[in-house]
Amino acid sequence: MENILEVKGLNKTYRNFSLQDVSFSLPEGCITGFIGINGAGKTTTLRSILALTPKASGEIRIFGMDMATNEKEIKQRLGIVLDDGGFYDELSLTEMKDMVASAYKSWDENEYKKYLDRFFLNPKQRINTLSKGMRMKYALALALSHKAELLIMDEPTSGLDPLIRCQLLEILKEFMEKGGRGVFFSTHITSDLDKIADMLVMIDSGRIIFQQDKDILLDSYRIVKGDRKDFNTNIEKLFMNVNQTAFGFTAITKRVDEVRKAMPDSIMERPAIEDIMICNIKGEKKCYCN
Amino acid sequence: MLLQLVKKDFLIVKKYILLMLAVCIIFPVFLIWSAPENAGILGFVLMTVFSIFMLLQYVSLKETQYPKASTLLCALPISRKYVVLSKYIFCILIYFACCLIFGIESFLFPQLRFVKFEIPVFLFLAVSLVLGVYLPLQYKLGYEKTKLFFIVLIMASPFVFAQSLKMKYSLDESLLWQEYRVIMLAGSFIISVLVLLVSSAISIRIYKEADLS
Repeated sequence: MENILEVKGLNKTYRNFSLQDVSFSLPEGCITGFIGINGAGKTTTLRSILALTPKASGEIRIFGMDMATNEKEIKQRLGIVLDDGGFYDELSLTEMKDMVASAYKSWDENEYKKYLDRFFLNPKQRINTLSKGMRMKYALALALSHKAELLIMDEPTSGLDPLIRCQLLEILKEFMEKGGRGVFFSTHITSDLDKIADMLVMIDSGRIIFQQDKDILLDSYRIVKGDRKDFNTNIEKLFMNVNQTAFGFTAITKRVDEVRKAMPDSIMERPAIEDIMICNIKGEKKCYCN
Repeated sequence: MLLQLVKKDFLIVKKYILLMLAVCIIFPVFLIWSAPENAGILGFVLMTVFSIFMLLQYVSLKETQYPKASTLLCALPISRKYVVLSKYIFCILIYFACCLIFGIESFLFPQLRFVKFEIPVFLFLAVSLVLGVYLPLQYKLGYEKTKLFFIVLIMASPFVFAQSLKMKYSLDESLLWQEYRVIMLAGSFIISVLVLLVSSAISIRIYKEADLS
């Protein structure tokens, strides 16, 4: 599989935050989730990829082309969905669409109308009368009506109810069915990725923590539940995130075989993406609630 | 695409455009009654200056209210150059719209016909100079920090206008003006265009490096 997006050595510094040597790649035909807590650097990375913010150093290649020298050509083939849409609320759906459509050479008006019908959106309606879910659907209609090959979305499911999130995931699956495409979406609601992602990239404090196939990643971790009497300092070294109570402990481990050997009576469960995300967060931000 | 961006600016302030249109129509007529000796020149200059800068302020206010909208525009295959140029074109179009409205009013009300050809040309120069400084500053510092500039401009405009009127009368009598009228008018127009070109180039450079968050 060819890489549809490649980020190499991306650096960007703000006063209180920096992206440090961010590198990852998205294979073609995959839905890739970009996970991390709020403030981890997801949005800054996405904006650097889209050349919305100047980077200190690094290389971004999309469809094999350098973003620095082929920005317009690349953007013709991207579908963009920003958190909350990024619309002018005073405009009607048609007025906003006219402006967006004028930017694309391959705008497909019929496709756009199909999406409006499917989402029950009235083209004469003003954007400020749309609910959050309707705004997201409208953003998708705009992003998918010009034969985009890579869909980049910043927190698309944030603040949406479960039904609309489910519909969104369905649309992404349909988008991928045509082949040769990719989806890259940032989120901190990892339950959506449990359902749909093929690949996961995690960022924390401006650094990439891992990039891995979702199923392999989930298979490499286990939640361990055991008796407190079995817990000691040697055992503790095998765990990443420990929560002790008066009766027992819960922890996450990557060293499954060693734990199984040391604590044969312990219960092991497959973790969710959220569990893996939390145990990979560095320092004081950790939450011991699993 | 550029046309759509200009259209967008008009659409996001369409409520205020209707308001300014009403002011542009009523204000000169009101002056015929309240200040008949200077109704033409006063009406034309003030309606043009207020229309351009009030509407520009409203557009900037809306852009500040919806910062993600300009982020989305720049995430699309829309050049930042066009985003900047659309603002300049927006202001120039308002200027011509004011000229047109005033022209029609002068036709209907003969009391307004004291405005000669040089007034629109010199006003265009004055507007170009102010926009030429204001827009790059706004792109650099943002709307909030440059609001004061606009307030100063509005407050100072009656004084500047009174002073300009005096200069106009002395210019009318000067030999230089009578001899080289056409050259001076052409020069003013060329300077206006050059100022706008240089200013837009500076604004584009600033906006191309802007961090859109």
